[in-house]
Amino acid sequence: MLTLLVFAGTALSAVGAPSSAPAPALVTNDATFAVSAKRVLVDGKTVVEDGVVIVERGKVREVLDAKQKAKADGLPRVEHDGWVSAGMIAARSHLGTRGDFDEPKRPVTPEARILDSVDFDHPEFAAALRAGVTTVVVAPSASSLIGGQSVALKTHGRVILDADAHLVIAPAASALRINREPTSFPGAMAMLNAQFEKPQGAVAHAAAGKLPVLIEVSQRDEIARALEFAMTHKLRGALSHAPLAGELAAQVKKSGLAVVLGPFAVGVTPRVFDSVRALAAESVPLAFGLDFGSPPEQLRLSVVMCVRGGLAPELAWNTLTSHPAAILGLQERVGTLRAGCDADLVLWSGPPLELTSRVQGVFVGGVQAWGGQE
Amino acid sequence: MSVKHCCSIVLAALVVAPSALALVAQKKSDDRRSWTITAERVYTAEGEAIANGEVVVEGGKIRAVGKGGGGDLKVFAVTPGLVELSMRIDQGFYSVEQSNEVTPQIRALASVDIFDEAWTRAVRGGVTTAMVNVPDRNVVGGLSVVLKTAGDPQPAARVVKADAVLYGAIGSAPSSMNHPAQPRPEDFYSRRPTTRMGVEWEWRKSLFEAAAARVDPKRAKHGDAELQRALDGQLPLMIQAWASQDIRTAVFLVEEARREGWGNPTLIVDAAAEAWREPQLLVRSKASVVLPPFSALGRTRDQAFFALDTASKLDALGVPFALSGHNADALEGRLCYQPGYAMRGGLSFASALAAVTLTPARLVGVDKRVGSIKAGKDADLVLWNGEPFQPSSKVVGVLVDGRLIVDPRPAANAPSTSNK
Repeated sequence: MLTLLVFAGTALSAVGAPSSAPAPALVTNDATFAVSAKRVLVDGKTVVEDGVVIVERGKVREVLDAKQKAKADGLPRVEHDGWVSAGMIAARSHLGTRGDFDEPKRPVTPEARILDSVDFDHPEFAAALRAGVTTVVVAPSASSLIGGQSVALKTHGRVILDADAHLVIAPAASALRINREPTSFPGAMAMLNAQFEKPQGAVAHAAAGKLPVLIEVSQRDEIARALEFAMTHKLRGALSHAPLAGELAAQVKKSGLAVVLGPFAVGVTPRVFDSVRALAAESVPLAFGLDFGSPPEQLRLSVVMCVRGGLAPELAWNTLTSHPAAILGLQERVGTLRAGCDADLVLWSGPPLELTSRVQGVFVGGVQAWGGQE
Repeated sequence: MSVKHCCSIVLAALVVAPSALALVAQKKSDDRRSWTITAERVYTAEGEAIANGEVVVEGGKIRAVGKGGGGDLKVFAVTPGLVELSMRIDQGFYSVEQSNEVTPQIRALASVDIFDEAWTRAVRGGVTTAMVNVPDRNVVGGLSVVLKTAGDPQPAARVVKADAVLYGAIGSAPSSMNHPAQPRPEDFYSRRPTTRMGVEWEWRKSLFEAAAARVDPKRAKHGDAELQRALDGQLPLMIQAWASQDIRTAVFLVEEARREGWGNPTLIVDAAAEAWREPQLLVRSKASVVLPPFSALGRTRDQAFFALDTASKLDALGVPFALSGHNADALEGRLCYQPGYAMRGGLSFASALAAVTLTPARLVGVDKRVGSIKAGKDADLVLWNGEPFQPSSKVVGVLVDGRLIVDPRPAANAPSTSNK
């Protein structure tokens, strides 16, 4: 049975005073309802003042501006005295795996699926929700040469968006071990080339361009090597980590790969921001990710620090939403509040890229997943 | 629908990317690849020096060399860019595949870190072409690559010659991590060889098996193709051997291969500090030599003593030799200082110049492109403020493929020269 509590905007007198924010009540995804807000952030470039998001069967039906508001009359309504945006996307994470994300004895395990390790009830998913992150890629670790297949899923409701989102490969020092072949970069490249020259299974899918790759690299020489490898085998997908990829921005652009950056801790060097801006200047698709054990809040923090380092705010917001959606090929489902997308909404006390703004409510697929208490 | 650009998402103002703009500006000036260099002495490494000469560089290549004056860049002397055959810029254990002692198919190119500071150091010291070898922890390490020391940030774009030599080592280094498997194997260092004898045995076994695989396909295994090319003499076999007993082993290896009819390998002995002890062996086996950097009191590795007159002795016997500076971590270890030491040991200027330019280029088969100042070759040049290799002279300018990597003009390097 549907119960909808409509709470008045006037009750929320002070923006940014979360303790005074009452919890929006449960909404099921059968409902058609409206969420009104002072500002609706449809995507990085589009803000609707005094807008209303109409949700129908778990999808965004439309976003109304102040003049069209009357169309929402009569619908059950959540009034929010703040901002509403699409849920954020972590384009790489290890949430819910408890670190059970590699096969230490074997360097090449392309058929391994991280989905088999994911505990959907792990508290990390709830933490991600509270941080406004509604979609995550969970990936095998970078400690295998070919670690296996990542999965794209929602942080609530056990919704799997893409069961084999990427093939994760790591032509990097992270995959080299002293007691297992390969121990060296040349050995690693010889092994990877052998895999992709006579590809089988998931590697064959990646080699044919059907399965994107997520290439884990950190230093610039690894980035250069990875770009060459990707271009040789005509792979599509993204570099992961690679904070200094912007120092090879022209080559990254040429490769057609996206870059999944972060997480950045406080104190990251200005050189990294120069790199991020250089990638942005080349229009390389950018997204951000989380490491094993990093708090989901760090996703937004990483991007905010890049904005402080000179990244355009519109683009910065897209790197948290529409860019990763496009990198995953899920732009019709997540990443924006355009009509037809999943109703993954985050209710904010203020502008999402201001660190003082708090998440006050989260809907995933039109269902209220988190209520606002912290 | 009222749509607004959301400049209000954050309060922070958008900062124009200053460094990105700077990078673009830098790129444009770097693109100049045509110069005329005037010098009181032009040492071409192709014969007599030209007094009051000029080198005309166009589009990254040398167009003309001859008498002349009034160029863009005026210096005291010009030499070809230096060629280093034992550039030890590597990533330690990440550059050598330790899962096997014999890895002929491994490519050094795959571990090159083009961003290593040592490359800048090398090019500032006049090295414009360098061969990177697999570090000496394996018996047969793998395939070396010859690269330019400056230019495109993609290693593949800098390659002058891929798979230039098959590199390996004799001596204490290849077995130094290994230990016996007692009571049982603990890791893959529980293996042979653990001694010099074992290293020699691995070499002989590798060459024998590669030869045997030619007649019996059932014996074929990974890496045979590279060893067979080395046996055929198509791929020079470059073996690090500091001490005289190790140089002897290297010579005996290729002589055994010839005697047994496995092929006719071309031997280059790298880091041959004790080449002076039994140079007749090198003459007999038609081996070439790469000498290590000269060191204080002649002390090197593997207890080998490196005499100052080694280069002049080899020169007198007609053994082709190159000088090397390795990774030049110490200023006096740089390749541009090595000819000076060799000349102090009795070597002529012309031979000393050849030993850092044309000879190393010939040894690895890149002399069509680099190694001397000749019309049509790559414009890799070193500009000097005095007679090259004299202690009071220094490298003031470097061109790689016509790009001015180190600028000799006073205005360009005023802040840095004041410190030196």
